[in-house]
Amino acid sequence: MRRGALISFQASGGLLMVLIVAAMAFLACFAMAGTLGASKLANAWTEGLSGAATVRIGAEDGVSQDQVDIVLDILRETDGVIEATPLTDEEVAALLEPWFGTTPRLEDLPAPTIIAVRIDPLNEPESAILQARLDGAGAGAIYDDHGEWRGRAASAARAVRNVALGALIICALAIAMVVVLTVRSSLAAQRATIATLRLAGAEDRFVAGVYQTRYLWLGLAGGVIGCAMAGAAMLAVDALASVGRALPALAATGQWWLGPVAVVVFVAVLCVLAARLTVLRALRSGA
Amino acid sequence: MIVFEDVGFRYGRGPDVLKNLDFEVPEGAFTFVTGASGAGKSSLLRLLYLDAVPSSGRISMFGRDVTTLSRDEIAWFRRRIGVVFQDFRLLDHLTAAENVALPLRVAGAKVSEYRENVVEMLRWVGLGDQMDVKPPQLSGGEKQRIAIARAVVASPDIILADEPTGSVDPVMAERIMQLFVEMNRLGKTVVLATHDLDLAEQTGHPVLELQGGSLMARVAA
Repeated sequence: MRRGALISFQASGGLLMVLIVAAMAFLACFAMAGTLGASKLANAWTEGLSGAATVRIGAEDGVSQDQVDIVLDILRETDGVIEATPLTDEEVAALLEPWFGTTPRLEDLPAPTIIAVRIDPLNEPESAILQARLDGAGAGAIYDDHGEWRGRAASAARAVRNVALGALIICALAIAMVVVLTVRSSLAAQRATIATLRLAGAEDRFVAGVYQTRYLWLGLAGGVIGCAMAGAAMLAVDALASVGRALPALAATGQWWLGPVAVVVFVAVLCVLAARLTVLRALRSGA
Repeated sequence: MIVFEDVGFRYGRGPDVLKNLDFEVPEGAFTFVTGASGAGKSSLLRLLYLDAVPSSGRISMFGRDVTTLSRDEIAWFRRRIGVVFQDFRLLDHLTAAENVALPLRVAGAKVSEYRENVVEMLRWVGLGDQMDVKPPQLSGGEKQRIAIARAVVASPDIILADEPTGSVDPVMAERIMQLFVEMNRLGKTVVLATHDLDLAEQTGHPVLELQGGSLMARVAA
Protein backbone atom coordinates (compact mmCIF):
# COMPACT_ATOMS: atom_id res chain seq x y z
CA MET A 1 0.00 0.00 0.00
CA ARG A 2 1.48 3.33 -1.03
CA ARG A 3 1.62 5.97 1.70
CA GLY A 4 -0.29 8.33 -0.57
CA ALA A 5 -3.17 5.82 -0.75
CA LEU A 6 -3.88 6.25 2.96
CA ILE A 7 -5.73 9.46 2.18
CA SER A 8 -8.37 9.47 -0.54
CA PHE A 9 -7.64 12.53 -2.67
CA GLN A 10 -10.10 13.83 -5.24
CA ALA A 11 -8.83 13.33 -8.78
CA SER A 12 -10.54 16.51 -10.02
CA GLY A 13 -8.71 18.60 -7.42
CA GLY A 14 -5.42 17.13 -8.58
CA LEU A 15 -6.16 17.87 -12.23
CA LEU A 16 -7.04 21.48 -11.45
CA MET A 17 -3.85 21.86 -9.47
CA VAL A 18 -1.76 20.44 -12.36
CA LEU A 19 -3.38 22.84 -14.82
CA ILE A 20 -2.76 25.88 -12.62
CA VAL A 21 0.85 24.87 -11.93
CA ALA A 22 1.37 24.24 -15.67
CA ALA A 23 0.11 27.75 -16.49
CA MET A 24 2.33 29.32 -13.84
CA ALA A 25 5.36 27.27 -14.94
CA PHE A 26 4.77 28.40 -18.53
CA LEU A 27 4.76 32.04 -17.44
CA ALA A 28 7.75 31.49 -15.16
CA CYS A 29 9.75 30.07 -18.07
CA PHE A 30 9.06 33.18 -20.12
CA ALA A 31 9.85 35.44 -17.18
CA MET A 32 13.16 33.62 -16.80
CA ALA A 33 13.80 33.86 -20.54
CA GLY A 34 13.02 37.58 -20.28
CA THR A 35 15.57 37.98 -17.52
CA LEU A 36 18.27 36.10 -19.40
CA GLY A 37 17.39 37.72 -22.73
CA ALA A 38 17.55 41.24 -21.26
CA SER A 39 20.94 40.56 -19.71
CA LYS A 40 22.19 39.01 -22.93
CA LEU A 41 20.92 41.90 -25.03
CA ALA A 42 22.49 44.49 -22.71
CA ASN A 43 25.77 42.59 -22.73
CA ALA A 44 25.71 42.40 -26.52
CA TRP A 45 25.17 46.15 -26.75
CA THR A 46 27.77 47.14 -24.18
CA GLU A 47 30.35 44.59 -25.33
CA GLY A 48 30.03 45.97 -28.83
CA LEU A 49 30.87 49.41 -27.52
CA SER A 50 33.50 48.55 -24.96
CA GLY A 51 37.04 49.12 -26.20
CA ALA A 52 35.86 51.74 -28.63
CA ALA A 53 35.57 55.52 -28.37
CA THR A 54 35.42 58.44 -30.75
CA VAL A 55 36.74 61.96 -30.85
CA ARG A 56 34.75 64.49 -32.80
CA ILE A 57 36.46 67.67 -33.99
CA GLY A 58 33.99 70.50 -34.62
CA ALA A 59 33.34 71.53 -38.23
CA GLU A 60 31.62 74.93 -38.25
CA ASP A 61 34.81 76.77 -39.28
CA GLY A 62 36.33 73.77 -40.98
CA VAL A 63 38.92 71.42 -39.52
CA SER A 64 42.61 71.90 -40.19
CA GLN A 65 45.14 69.10 -40.38
CA ASP A 66 47.00 70.78 -37.48
CA GLN A 67 43.95 70.36 -35.25
CA VAL A 68 43.74 66.70 -36.18
CA ASP A 69 47.46 66.14 -35.56
CA ILE A 70 47.30 67.81 -32.14
CA VAL A 71 44.40 65.62 -31.14
CA LEU A 72 46.10 62.49 -32.50
CA ASP A 73 49.29 63.34 -30.55
CA ILE A 74 47.31 63.75 -27.33
CA LEU A 75 45.47 60.51 -27.89
CA ARG A 76 48.56 58.48 -28.72
CA GLU A 77 50.32 59.78 -25.59
CA THR A 78 47.39 58.78 -23.41
CA ASP A 79 47.76 55.64 -21.33
CA GLY A 80 45.07 53.09 -22.30
CA VAL A 81 44.68 54.25 -25.88
CA ILE A 82 45.79 51.47 -28.22
CA GLU A 83 45.11 53.14 -31.54
CA ALA A 84 43.67 56.42 -32.86
CA THR A 85 42.73 56.64 -36.54
CA PRO A 86 40.82 59.41 -38.34
CA LEU A 87 37.91 58.11 -40.38
CA THR A 88 38.25 58.50 -44.09
CA ASP A 89 35.75 60.64 -46.03
CA GLU A 90 34.14 57.45 -47.30
CA GLU A 91 33.68 56.14 -43.77
CA VAL A 92 32.16 59.43 -42.60
CA ALA A 93 29.88 59.46 -45.64
CA ALA A 94 28.76 55.92 -44.78
CA LEU A 95 27.91 57.08 -41.23
CA LEU A 96 25.86 59.99 -42.58
CA GLU A 97 24.14 57.97 -45.25
CA PRO A 98 21.17 56.83 -43.11
CA TRP A 99 20.23 60.51 -42.58
CA PHE A 100 21.29 62.25 -45.78
CA GLY A 101 21.41 59.45 -48.30
CA THR A 102 24.08 59.31 -50.99
CA THR A 103 23.17 62.40 -52.97
CA PRO A 104 24.95 65.31 -51.17
CA ARG A 105 28.71 65.54 -51.36
CA LEU A 106 30.57 65.43 -48.07
CA GLU A 107 32.41 68.66 -48.84
CA ASP A 108 29.04 70.46 -48.97
CA LEU A 109 28.17 69.41 -45.44
CA PRO A 110 29.63 70.79 -42.22
CA ALA A 111 30.65 67.24 -41.27
CA PRO A 112 32.99 66.93 -38.28
CA THR A 113 36.20 64.99 -38.41
CA ILE A 114 35.83 61.73 -36.53
CA ILE A 115 38.74 59.88 -34.97
CA ALA A 116 38.11 56.25 -34.09
CA VAL A 117 39.89 55.37 -30.87
CA ARG A 118 40.61 51.81 -29.82
CA ILE A 119 41.13 51.59 -26.10
CA ASP A 120 42.17 48.91 -23.65
CA PRO A 121 38.91 47.75 -21.96
CA LEU A 122 40.90 46.81 -18.87
CA ASN A 123 42.67 50.18 -18.69
CA GLU A 124 40.22 52.73 -20.02
CA PRO A 125 41.47 56.32 -19.90
CA GLU A 126 39.62 58.65 -17.55
CA SER A 127 37.34 60.51 -19.95
CA ALA A 128 37.18 63.73 -17.90
CA ILE A 129 40.97 64.03 -17.74
CA LEU A 130 41.35 63.27 -21.43
CA GLN A 131 38.64 65.78 -22.30
CA ALA A 132 40.44 68.41 -20.15
CA ARG A 133 43.68 67.78 -22.05
CA LEU A 134 41.86 68.10 -25.39
CA ASP A 135 40.23 71.35 -24.20
CA GLY A 136 43.64 72.62 -23.07
CA ALA A 137 45.02 72.05 -26.57
CA GLY A 138 42.22 74.25 -27.99
CA ALA A 139 41.48 71.85 -30.85
CA GLY A 140 37.72 71.93 -30.30
CA ALA A 141 37.61 68.14 -29.88
CA ILE A 142 35.02 66.18 -27.94
CA TYR A 143 35.87 62.75 -26.55
CA ASP A 144 33.00 60.23 -26.35
CA ASP A 145 33.58 56.83 -24.73
CA HIS A 146 29.85 55.91 -25.11
CA GLY A 147 29.58 55.73 -21.31
CA GLU A 148 26.18 57.42 -21.31
CA TRP A 149 24.82 54.99 -23.91
CA ARG A 150 26.26 51.99 -22.09
CA GLY A 151 24.77 53.27 -18.82
CA ARG A 152 21.34 53.61 -20.41
CA ALA A 153 21.55 50.13 -21.94
CA ALA A 154 22.55 48.63 -18.61
CA SER A 155 19.78 50.49 -16.82
CA ALA A 156 17.19 49.35 -19.39
CA ALA A 157 18.41 45.77 -19.01
CA ARG A 158 18.18 46.07 -15.22
CA ALA A 159 14.62 47.36 -15.50
CA VAL A 160 13.57 44.47 -17.77
CA ARG A 161 15.32 41.99 -15.48
CA ASN A 162 13.59 43.40 -12.40
CA VAL A 163 10.18 43.19 -14.07
CA ALA A 164 10.92 39.58 -15.10
CA LEU A 165 12.09 38.72 -11.58
CA GLY A 166 8.91 40.29 -10.24
CA ALA A 167 6.89 38.10 -12.60
CA LEU A 168 8.83 35.03 -11.39
CA ILE A 169 8.07 35.91 -7.78
CA ILE A 170 4.39 36.42 -8.60
CA CYS A 171 4.28 32.99 -10.31
CA ALA A 172 5.93 31.38 -7.28
CA LEU A 173 3.51 33.10 -4.90
CA ALA A 174 0.54 32.03 -7.03
CA ILE A 175 1.69 28.39 -7.00
CA ALA A 176 2.30 28.50 -3.24
CA MET A 177 -1.13 30.02 -2.65
CA VAL A 178 -2.86 27.38 -4.78
CA VAL A 179 -1.05 24.64 -2.86
CA VAL A 180 -1.99 26.20 0.49
CA LEU A 181 -5.65 26.55 -0.49
CA THR A 182 -6.00 23.05 -1.94
CA VAL A 183 -4.16 21.45 0.99
CA ARG A 184 -6.36 23.28 3.49
CA SER A 185 -9.45 22.24 1.60
CA SER A 186 -8.26 18.62 1.52
CA LEU A 187 -7.39 18.66 5.24
CA ALA A 188 -10.91 19.85 5.99
CA ALA A 189 -12.45 17.16 3.75
CA GLN A 190 -10.18 14.43 5.18
CA ARG A 191 -10.53 15.42 8.81
CA ALA A 192 -11.91 12.02 9.88
CA THR A 193 -9.27 10.06 7.97
CA ILE A 194 -6.46 12.14 9.43
CA ALA A 195 -7.91 11.74 12.93
CA THR A 196 -7.92 7.96 12.41
CA LEU A 197 -4.31 8.05 11.22
CA ARG A 198 -3.35 10.11 14.27
CA LEU A 199 -5.18 7.68 16.58
CA ALA A 200 -3.31 4.81 14.93
CA GLY A 201 -0.05 6.49 15.95
CA ALA A 202 0.79 8.66 12.94
CA GLU A 203 2.98 11.65 13.70
CA ASP A 204 2.25 15.01 12.10
CA ARG A 205 5.23 14.58 9.80
CA PHE A 206 3.81 11.26 8.56
CA VAL A 207 0.58 13.01 7.50
CA ALA A 208 2.66 15.84 6.03
CA GLY A 209 4.66 13.20 4.15
CA VAL A 210 1.49 11.89 2.50
CA TYR A 211 0.69 15.39 1.24
CA GLN A 212 4.30 16.10 0.27
CA THR A 213 4.40 13.01 -1.91
CA ARG A 214 1.14 13.93 -3.62
CA TYR A 215 2.12 17.54 -4.22
CA LEU A 216 5.57 16.52 -5.43
CA TRP A 217 3.94 14.55 -8.25
CA LEU A 218 1.35 17.24 -8.95
CA GLY A 219 4.10 19.89 -9.04
CA LEU A 220 6.29 17.77 -11.29
CA ALA A 221 3.39 17.00 -13.64
CA GLY A 222 2.30 20.65 -13.84
CA GLY A 223 5.90 21.87 -14.13
CA VAL A 224 6.80 19.44 -16.91
CA ILE A 225 3.64 20.25 -18.90
CA GLY A 226 4.05 24.04 -18.51
CA CYS A 227 7.78 24.02 -19.21
CA ALA A 228 7.43 21.69 -22.20
CA MET A 229 4.91 24.12 -23.71
CA ALA A 230 7.19 27.06 -22.88
CA GLY A 231 10.19 25.22 -24.35
CA ALA A 232 8.30 24.65 -27.59
CA ALA A 233 7.26 28.30 -27.69
CA MET A 234 10.86 29.39 -27.03
CA LEU A 235 12.15 27.25 -29.88
CA ALA A 236 9.61 28.94 -32.11
CA VAL A 237 10.80 32.39 -30.94
CA ASP A 238 14.39 31.26 -31.46
CA ALA A 239 13.65 30.14 -35.00
CA LEU A 240 12.04 33.52 -35.66
CA ALA A 241 15.01 35.39 -34.17
CA SER A 242 17.55 33.33 -36.10
CA VAL A 243 15.77 33.72 -39.42
CA GLY A 244 14.80 37.34 -39.13
CA ARG A 245 17.81 38.50 -37.14
CA ALA A 246 15.40 40.83 -35.43
CA LEU A 247 16.38 39.84 -31.92
CA PRO A 248 19.68 38.00 -32.24
CA ALA A 249 20.42 38.35 -28.52
CA LEU A 250 17.30 36.30 -27.74
CA ALA A 251 18.48 33.41 -29.87
CA ALA A 252 18.92 30.23 -27.82
CA THR A 253 22.32 29.14 -26.65
CA GLY A 254 23.36 25.51 -26.16
CA GLN A 255 22.14 25.33 -22.53
CA TRP A 256 18.81 27.07 -23.06
CA TRP A 257 16.94 24.00 -21.78
CA LEU A 258 18.50 24.46 -18.33
CA GLY A 259 15.98 27.25 -17.68
CA PRO A 260 12.82 25.11 -18.06
CA VAL A 261 14.47 22.25 -16.14
CA ALA A 262 15.30 24.67 -13.30
CA VAL A 263 11.69 25.89 -13.32
CA VAL A 264 10.37 22.29 -13.07
CA VAL A 265 12.67 21.55 -10.12
CA PHE A 266 11.83 24.86 -8.45
CA VAL A 267 8.07 24.32 -8.88
CA ALA A 268 8.27 20.77 -7.46
CA VAL A 269 10.30 21.91 -4.45
CA LEU A 270 7.94 24.84 -3.91
CA CYS A 271 4.89 22.54 -3.98
CA VAL A 272 6.48 20.12 -1.51
CA LEU A 273 7.51 22.85 0.92
CA ALA A 274 4.19 24.69 0.74
CA ALA A 275 2.26 21.43 1.29
CA ARG A 276 4.45 20.36 4.20
CA LEU A 277 4.31 23.69 6.01
CA THR A 278 0.55 24.00 5.47
CA VAL A 279 -0.14 20.52 6.85
CA LEU A 280 2.15 20.89 9.86
CA ARG A 281 0.76 24.29 10.69
CA ALA A 282 -2.85 23.14 10.32
CA LEU A 283 -2.35 19.99 12.41
CA ARG A 284 -0.53 21.85 15.16
CA SER A 285 -3.25 24.45 15.32
CA GLY A 286 -5.77 21.66 15.82
CA ALA A 287 -7.30 21.37 12.35
CA MET B 1 0.04 0.35 34.86
CA ILE B 2 -2.60 3.06 34.36
CA VAL B 3 -3.04 5.51 37.22
CA PHE B 4 -5.79 8.16 37.49
CA GLU B 5 -5.24 10.71 40.26
CA ASP B 6 -8.17 13.01 41.03
CA VAL B 7 -8.93 13.35 37.31
CA GLY B 8 -11.69 15.67 36.14
CA PHE B 9 -12.73 16.38 32.55
CA ARG B 10 -15.08 18.74 30.78
CA TYR B 11 -15.63 19.75 27.15
CA GLY B 12 -14.70 23.41 26.74
CA ARG B 13 -16.45 25.43 29.40
CA GLY B 14 -19.25 22.92 29.82
CA PRO B 15 -20.09 20.95 32.94
CA ASP B 16 -17.76 18.28 34.31
CA VAL B 17 -18.33 14.99 32.53
CA LEU B 18 -15.79 13.19 34.72
CA LYS B 19 -15.21 14.08 38.38
CA ASN B 20 -12.46 13.21 40.83
CA LEU B 21 -11.52 9.87 39.30
CA ASP B 22 -8.99 7.93 41.36
CA PHE B 23 -8.13 4.40 40.29
CA GLU B 24 -5.37 2.13 39.04
CA VAL B 25 -5.40 -0.53 36.35
CA PRO B 26 -2.52 -2.95 36.88
CA GLU B 27 -0.43 -4.17 33.98
CA GLY B 28 -1.99 -7.22 32.33
CA ALA B 29 -5.40 -6.63 33.96
CA PHE B 30 -8.79 -7.04 32.27
CA THR B 31 -11.00 -4.20 33.47
CA PHE B 32 -14.55 -3.22 32.57
CA VAL B 33 -15.83 0.35 32.62
CA THR B 34 -19.62 0.37 32.91
CA GLY B 35 -22.35 2.91 33.29
CA ALA B 36 -25.47 4.18 31.58
CA SER B 37 -25.33 6.24 28.40
CA GLY B 38 -23.81 9.62 29.23
CA ALA B 39 -22.10 8.33 32.35
CA GLY B 40 -18.71 9.27 30.90
CA LYS B 41 -17.41 5.91 29.62
CA SER B 42 -16.42 7.23 26.20
CA SER B 43 -14.86 10.34 27.73
CA LEU B 44 -12.83 8.15 30.05
CA LEU B 45 -11.62 6.12 27.06
CA ARG B 46 -10.75 9.35 25.20
CA LEU B 47 -8.47 10.27 28.07
CA LEU B 48 -6.95 6.80 27.92
CA TYR B 49 -6.20 6.92 24.21
CA LEU B 50 -4.80 10.42 24.60
CA ASP B 51 -7.41 12.13 22.44
CA ALA B 52 -8.09 14.62 25.23
CA VAL B 53 -6.30 15.97 28.29
CA PRO B 54 -7.97 16.10 31.71
CA SER B 55 -9.25 19.43 33.00
CA SER B 56 -7.73 18.57 36.35
CA GLY B 57 -5.70 15.82 37.96
CA ARG B 58 -3.04 13.58 36.52
CA ILE B 59 -2.96 10.42 34.40
CA SER B 60 0.08 8.16 34.29
CA MET B 61 0.70 5.44 31.73
CA PHE B 62 3.87 3.50 31.06
CA GLY B 63 5.40 5.38 33.99
CA ARG B 64 4.88 8.82 32.42
CA ASP B 65 2.50 11.68 33.16
CA VAL B 66 0.62 11.63 29.86
CA THR B 67 -1.04 15.02 30.38
CA THR B 68 2.16 16.83 29.40
CA LEU B 69 3.18 14.87 26.31
CA SER B 70 4.15 16.63 23.07
CA ARG B 71 2.27 15.79 19.86
CA ASP B 72 5.06 13.49 18.68
CA GLU B 73 5.19 11.76 22.06
CA ILE B 74 1.42 11.26 21.94
CA ALA B 75 1.80 9.55 18.54
CA TRP B 76 4.51 7.31 19.94
CA PHE B 77 2.40 6.42 23.02
CA ARG B 78 -0.60 5.66 20.81
CA ARG B 79 1.42 2.97 19.06
CA ARG B 80 1.41 1.15 22.40
CA ILE B 81 -2.37 1.50 22.72
CA GLY B 82 -4.84 -0.35 20.50
CA VAL B 83 -8.34 1.10 20.33
CA VAL B 84 -11.61 -0.43 19.13
CA PHE B 85 -14.00 2.43 18.57
CA GLN B 86 -17.76 2.18 18.94
CA ASP B 87 -18.15 3.51 15.38
CA PHE B 88 -15.21 1.38 14.12
CA ARG B 89 -13.47 4.33 12.39
CA LEU B 90 -12.40 2.21 9.44
CA LEU B 91 -11.20 3.97 6.28
CA ASP B 92 -13.76 3.17 3.60
CA HIS B 93 -11.35 3.63 0.68
CA LEU B 94 -8.96 0.97 2.01
CA THR B 95 -9.45 -2.80 1.97
CA ALA B 96 -9.94 -4.83 5.14
CA ALA B 97 -6.26 -5.86 5.05
CA GLU B 98 -5.11 -2.27 4.52
CA ASN B 99 -7.26 -1.09 7.42
CA VAL B 100 -5.80 -3.75 9.68
CA ALA B 101 -2.26 -2.82 8.57
CA LEU B 102 -2.76 0.87 9.36
CA PRO B 103 -0.94 0.98 12.76
CA LEU B 104 2.02 -0.89 11.24
CA ARG B 105 2.06 1.34 8.18
CA VAL B 106 2.10 4.59 10.16
CA ALA B 107 4.86 3.16 12.35
CA GLY B 108 7.00 2.88 9.21
CA ALA B 109 6.85 -0.88 8.59
CA LYS B 110 7.08 -2.13 5.01
CA VAL B 111 4.40 -4.28 3.40
CA SER B 112 6.79 -7.24 3.12
CA GLU B 113 7.39 -7.03 6.86
CA TYR B 114 3.78 -7.05 7.97
CA ARG B 115 1.87 -8.92 5.24
CA GLU B 116 1.94 -12.28 7.05
CA ASN B 117 0.98 -10.67 10.35
CA VAL B 118 -2.04 -8.94 8.81
CA VAL B 119 -3.22 -12.12 7.09
CA GLU B 120 -2.87 -14.00 10.37
CA MET B 121 -4.86 -11.32 12.23
CA LEU B 122 -7.69 -11.40 9.72
CA ARG B 123 -7.83 -15.20 10.00
CA TRP B 124 -7.84 -14.90 13.79
CA VAL B 125 -10.95 -12.73 13.67
CA GLY B 126 -12.52 -15.07 11.11
CA LEU B 127 -12.19 -12.78 8.07
CA GLY B 128 -9.37 -14.48 6.21
CA ASP B 129 -11.52 -14.61 3.06
CA GLN B 130 -12.49 -10.91 3.21
CA MET B 131 -9.04 -9.32 3.02
CA ASP B 132 -9.65 -7.37 -0.18
CA VAL B 133 -13.17 -6.27 0.68
CA LYS B 134 -13.75 -2.63 1.59
CA PRO B 135 -15.73 -1.68 4.74
CA PRO B 136 -18.90 -0.48 2.94
CA GLN B 137 -19.39 -4.07 1.74
CA LEU B 138 -19.08 -5.57 5.24
CA SER B 139 -21.65 -6.13 8.00
CA GLY B 140 -21.46 -4.40 11.40
CA GLY B 141 -20.01 -7.50 13.05
CA GLU B 142 -17.38 -7.88 10.35
CA LYS B 143 -16.39 -4.23 10.67
CA GLN B 144 -16.15 -4.71 14.40
CA ARG B 145 -13.78 -7.65 13.98
CA ILE B 146 -11.62 -5.71 11.51
CA ALA B 147 -11.45 -2.90 14.05
CA ILE B 148 -10.34 -5.43 16.68
CA ALA B 149 -7.71 -6.88 14.35
CA ARG B 150 -6.43 -3.36 13.65
CA ALA B 151 -6.30 -2.61 17.38
CA VAL B 152 -4.15 -5.62 18.19
CA VAL B 153 -2.05 -6.10 15.03
CA ALA B 154 0.86 -4.01 16.30
CA SER B 155 0.85 -5.95 19.58
CA PRO B 156 0.09 -2.95 21.81
CA ASP B 157 0.52 -3.08 25.58
CA ILE B 158 -2.96 -1.70 26.26
CA ILE B 159 -6.17 -2.51 24.38
CA LEU B 160 -9.16 -0.20 24.80
CA ALA B 161 -12.61 -1.01 23.45
CA ASP B 162 -15.73 1.15 23.49
CA GLU B 163 -18.94 -0.95 23.41
CA PRO B 164 -17.32 -3.61 21.21
CA THR B 165 -20.39 -5.84 21.36
CA GLY B 166 -22.95 -3.09 21.05
CA SER B 167 -23.80 -3.61 17.39
CA VAL B 168 -23.61 -7.38 17.02
CA ASP B 169 -25.81 -10.38 17.82
CA PRO B 170 -25.20 -12.43 21.01
CA VAL B 171 -23.26 -15.18 19.21
CA MET B 172 -20.92 -12.65 17.62
CA ALA B 173 -20.70 -10.73 20.93
CA GLU B 174 -19.47 -13.88 22.67
CA ARG B 175 -16.95 -14.50 19.93
CA ILE B 176 -15.67 -10.92 20.15
CA MET B 177 -15.40 -11.15 23.94
CA GLN B 178 -13.38 -14.31 23.51
CA LEU B 179 -10.90 -12.38 21.31
CA PHE B 180 -10.33 -9.86 24.11
CA VAL B 181 -9.89 -12.65 26.66
CA GLU B 182 -7.29 -14.26 24.40
CA MET B 183 -5.41 -10.97 24.10
CA ASN B 184 -5.50 -10.57 27.87
CA ARG B 185 -4.07 -14.06 28.27
CA LEU B 186 -1.17 -12.95 26.08
CA GLY B 187 -0.38 -10.33 28.74
CA LYS B 188 -2.15 -7.30 27.27
CA THR B 189 -3.93 -4.85 29.54
CA VAL B 190 -7.57 -4.67 28.40
CA VAL B 191 -10.01 -1.90 29.32
CA LEU B 192 -13.47 -2.49 27.90
CA ALA B 193 -16.30 0.02 28.17
CA THR B 194 -19.84 -1.34 28.07
CA HIS B 195 -23.25 -0.36 29.31
CA ASP B 196 -23.98 -4.06 29.91
CA LEU B 197 -23.19 -4.51 33.61
CA ASP B 198 -24.35 -8.14 33.51
CA LEU B 199 -21.80 -8.98 30.81
CA ALA B 200 -19.09 -7.36 32.91
CA GLU B 201 -20.04 -9.11 36.11
CA GLN B 202 -20.36 -12.53 34.43
CA THR B 203 -16.72 -12.54 33.46
CA GLY B 204 -15.56 -11.95 37.00
CA HIS B 205 -13.12 -9.18 36.02
CA PRO B 206 -12.86 -5.89 37.95
CA VAL B 207 -15.50 -3.34 37.05
CA LEU B 208 -15.28 0.44 37.27
CA GLU B 209 -18.84 1.76 37.39
CA LEU B 210 -19.43 5.36 36.36
CA GLN B 211 -22.50 7.36 37.25
CA GLY B 212 -22.81 10.98 36.26
CA GLY B 213 -19.07 11.15 35.66
CA SER B 214 -18.11 9.86 39.08
CA LEU B 215 -16.73 6.47 40.00
CA MET B 216 -19.51 4.82 42.02
CA ALA B 217 -18.08 1.43 42.71
CA ARG B 218 -15.22 -0.81 41.92
CA VAL B 219 -16.39 -4.37 41.77
CA ALA B 220 -13.46 -6.64 42.57
CA ALA B 221 -13.00 -9.93 40.83
